[in-house]
Amino acid sequence: MKIKRYPFLIFMLFICTLLFGCWSKKELRDLALIIAVGIDKKDGKYMSTFQVVNPGNVAGATQRGGGSTGLPVALYTSTGDTLVEASRKASKQISRIPYYSHTNLVVIGEELAKEGIQQIFDAVERNPQFRPTANIVIARKQTAKQLLSVLTPIDKIPANQMIKTLELTEMMWGENVDTRLREVIESFSLAGKEVIMSSFYVDGNRKHSDDQNNVRTMEPTARLRAAELAIFKKGKLIGWIGKEEARGVLWILDKIKQTAVTVDWKEEKEAVSYKVVRAKTKVTAQLRNGKPIIFVAVKTEGDIGETFVAIDFTDPKQIVALEKVMQQEIKAEIEKAAHVAQKKKSDIFGFGEVVHRAYPKEWKEMKKTWDDKYFPKLDVQVKVESFIRRTGLRTRSYIQ
Amino acid sequence: MERACISARQLFMLAILFEHGSAMVIPLGVDAKQDVWLAILCGMVLGGGLLFVYYRLFTYYPRLPLTSYSQRIVGSFFGRVLGIIYVLYFLYIAARVLRDFGELLLTFAYPETPLFILNAVMMLTVMYAVYKGIEVIARASQLFFFSLYWILILGFVLIIIAGAVDLHRLQPILEEGWGPIFHVVFTQTLYVPFGEMIVFTMIFPYLQKQEKVMKAGFLALLLSGINLAMIMGMNVAVLGADMVSRSTFPLLNTIQEIRVANFLERLDVLFMIALIVGGFFKVVVFFYAGVIGAADLFQIKEYQRLVYPLGISVLFLSIAIASNFAEHIKEGLQIVTIYMHIPLQIVIPVLLLLIAMLRQGKRGRKPQGAREQRTP
Repeated sequence: MKIKRYPFLIFMLFICTLLFGCWSKKELRDLALIIAVGIDKKDGKYMSTFQVVNPGNVAGATQRGGGSTGLPVALYTSTGDTLVEASRKASKQISRIPYYSHTNLVVIGEELAKEGIQQIFDAVERNPQFRPTANIVIARKQTAKQLLSVLTPIDKIPANQMIKTLELTEMMWGENVDTRLREVIESFSLAGKEVIMSSFYVDGNRKHSDDQNNVRTMEPTARLRAAELAIFKKGKLIGWIGKEEARGVLWILDKIKQTAVTVDWKEEKEAVSYKVVRAKTKVTAQLRNGKPIIFVAVKTEGDIGETFVAIDFTDPKQIVALEKVMQQEIKAEIEKAAHVAQKKKSDIFGFGEVVHRAYPKEWKEMKKTWDDKYFPKLDVQVKVESFIRRTGLRTRSYIQ
Repeated sequence: MERACISARQLFMLAILFEHGSAMVIPLGVDAKQDVWLAILCGMVLGGGLLFVYYRLFTYYPRLPLTSYSQRIVGSFFGRVLGIIYVLYFLYIAARVLRDFGELLLTFAYPETPLFILNAVMMLTVMYAVYKGIEVIARASQLFFFSLYWILILGFVLIIIAGAVDLHRLQPILEEGWGPIFHVVFTQTLYVPFGEMIVFTMIFPYLQKQEKVMKAGFLALLLSGINLAMIMGMNVAVLGADMVSRSTFPLLNTIQEIRVANFLERLDVLFMIALIVGGFFKVVVFFYAGVIGAADLFQIKEYQRLVYPLGISVLFLSIAIASNFAEHIKEGLQIVTIYMHIPLQIVIPVLLLLIAMLRQGKRGRKPQGAREQRTP
C-alpha cells in the first residue's frame, strides 16, 4: 500500500504546475480601465491625463438615464519626463493598476502637437497592452486635459462619445478623418506621406464642463465638437484645413463613404443637394520629362436629396447637366485641398508613396527633395465622374 | 529506434505543423522589406532541393535514421562522430525554439512570470509527448493540424473583412532588385524553416508506406511555404514593411488590427493558440529526433530512459544560451546559421549523399542490402 501512494503524491505535485498559469493574474477589481489618454507638455515634462472608467456607474447611468449615483469616468493627471514615468507615477493617486488594453482614444494637446509628437508613440507601440487601433485626435486651441474633462449626455463615457462622433461624421459628412495610431506611426517611416488627424474642441462654456450639471441640462453648456483637420509635417503640427478643403482631402484619400454636395443651378446659388452614397478614388502617378504628374480619378454615385429650384428630373438630359455641375464642384474641392497642402509643403495625400510605388528607381533621387522641390509644384490632374442614380420619392419638385 | 509506424498523412500534418511552428510568428526574412514573401518562396524552392537530398539518402537506407546510416556511409567512427554532432544539433535547436517560445510569451502575455517557469511547463509537456512516442505525437498533430488551419483561415477572412489589407503596401516589388532577396534567402529563409526538415531524416523510417515519403514531404513543404509567404505578405499588406521589420511578432500586430463591427476585436488569443501549437510541435520534433538519435548511437533499448535527463538538459540549455532576447536573436540569425545550419543542413548531407552514391554504385546498386542488415 505504501508504494502505491507515491504516484499519487507525484501526481499532486504535477497538479501544482498548473498554478503557474496564475502568475501574472490581475483581478478585474484591481484594474483601472483607462479609456482615453491625453498627452500635454508642461514645463518641459509630459503631462498625461487618464480618463478612467468607473464600471459600476456606467451600468447604473444607462439604466437610470440620469446617473444620479456618480460619474461614469474619473480623471487623473500625472507628470513625468517620459510617458512611462508619468503612467507609473499615476499610482500615487489611482488605487488600481493602470490598464491600457481598452484605451481607444489618445488626445494630444495643440501645444504639444506643434512642438512635435514623434517621441510619444514609442512607449505606446512597445507596450503589449496598448492597441494600434486606438483613435487619435488633437485638442484644438486647448490642452488634452481640458478636452477630456467634459461630461457628455448621450454616450456616458466622453471618450466613446468622441470616437463615435468621429466615426459617424467621417461616414456621413466627410470633413473629419478617423486616424488610427498605427497610421500615424507608419507615416513617420514613409518619406512620401504625412499624417492628418482630426481635432476636437470644447464648444460653449468650458468652466463647469466636468460638473454633473453639464449633463443635467437639455443643451449642455460645454459640448465636444469635431473641428478642422490638423496637418502634420515630420511629426509637427503646421496648420489646419477645414470645411470644403478638408473634404477635398478625404476625397483624395478615398475615405469618403457618404456625404452631401450642394451646387448652384443656373442663377440660384447653393440650390441642389446631391447625396453621395458610394465613392471611389484612384490615385496614379506618371513621369513625364522627369517630372511626376498625379492623376486623381474620383467616381461617385448617389441620389438627389433636396432642391430649391424647379428641375425636371424625369428628363435624363437635365440629370446629365446636373451631373456635370456636381463634377465641377467636387473637382474644385479637391483642387483646393491639393493647393492648401502644397502651400504648406506637406504631402498629406501620400502622393510621394504613389510615385514611390510606380517609379521606385526615380523615387530614390526624388525623395530627398520631395517636400520642398517636387510636391509644392506637383501637377495634380483631377477627373471626377458623378452619377445621379435616383431622385428620391418624387420626380419633379412642388417648387415652380 | 522505437517500434512504431506512422502513416503518410500523419507525416504530412506533422511536417506542416513543424514548418509553421515558430516561423509563423517571428519576423521571418524581414530584411527583404516588402518582398519578404518572395524571399520565403525562393527559400521554399531551394529548401525543396535540400529535401530531395534528404529523401535520396532515405531511399538508400529506408529503415535507418540519419545517425545510423551515417555510420554505414563514412564508417563506424566518423559516422558516430557525425551522429553525435547531429544529436547535439537537434537538442540545441530544441532548446533554441523553446527559448523563442518562452521569450515570445513573456514579452507579450506574461510579463511577470519568470522565463524558467514558462519553459519548464512547456518542456514537461514536450517530454511527456516524447515519452509516449512518435505515434502519439503524430496523432496529436492530426488533431492540431485542423485547429491551426481553422485559426489561419478564420484570421485570414477576418482581416480581409476588417478592411485592414492594403495591397499597395507590397509595392514596389523588387525595389532593390534580386540582390537583397537572395541575401535573405541564403542567410535566413532557406535554413529556417525549410532546411530544418533535416530533422525528418530521423522520422522518415517510421513511415508505413515508404514510397509515400516523397509525396507527403514535398506537399508539406510546398503548402507551408505558400502559407508562410501568404502570412508574411499579409503582415506587410496590413502593417507596412517598416513596422513588420521593427516588430517582435508581426503576426500579433496584424491580428490586433482586426476590428469588425465593433465587437470582433482583440483576437490576440488566436495568435496565442497558433504560437503554442506551433512552438510545441517544433520543440517536440527536434527533441524527439535528439532523444532517438542518442538512443540509437548508444544502443539504448528503451529510449524513454533518456527523455528525462535530456529534457532537463534542454530546459537548462534554453535558459543558459543567451542572457537577453537581442543576444538570442543575433545568435540565431548569424552564428547558428554559419556554424550549424550551413554545414549540418547542406554540406554534410550532400557529402553523405555523394559518398553513398559512390558506394552503392560500386556494389552495383543494391539499396535493399541495408534493409537486411538492420539490428532491431
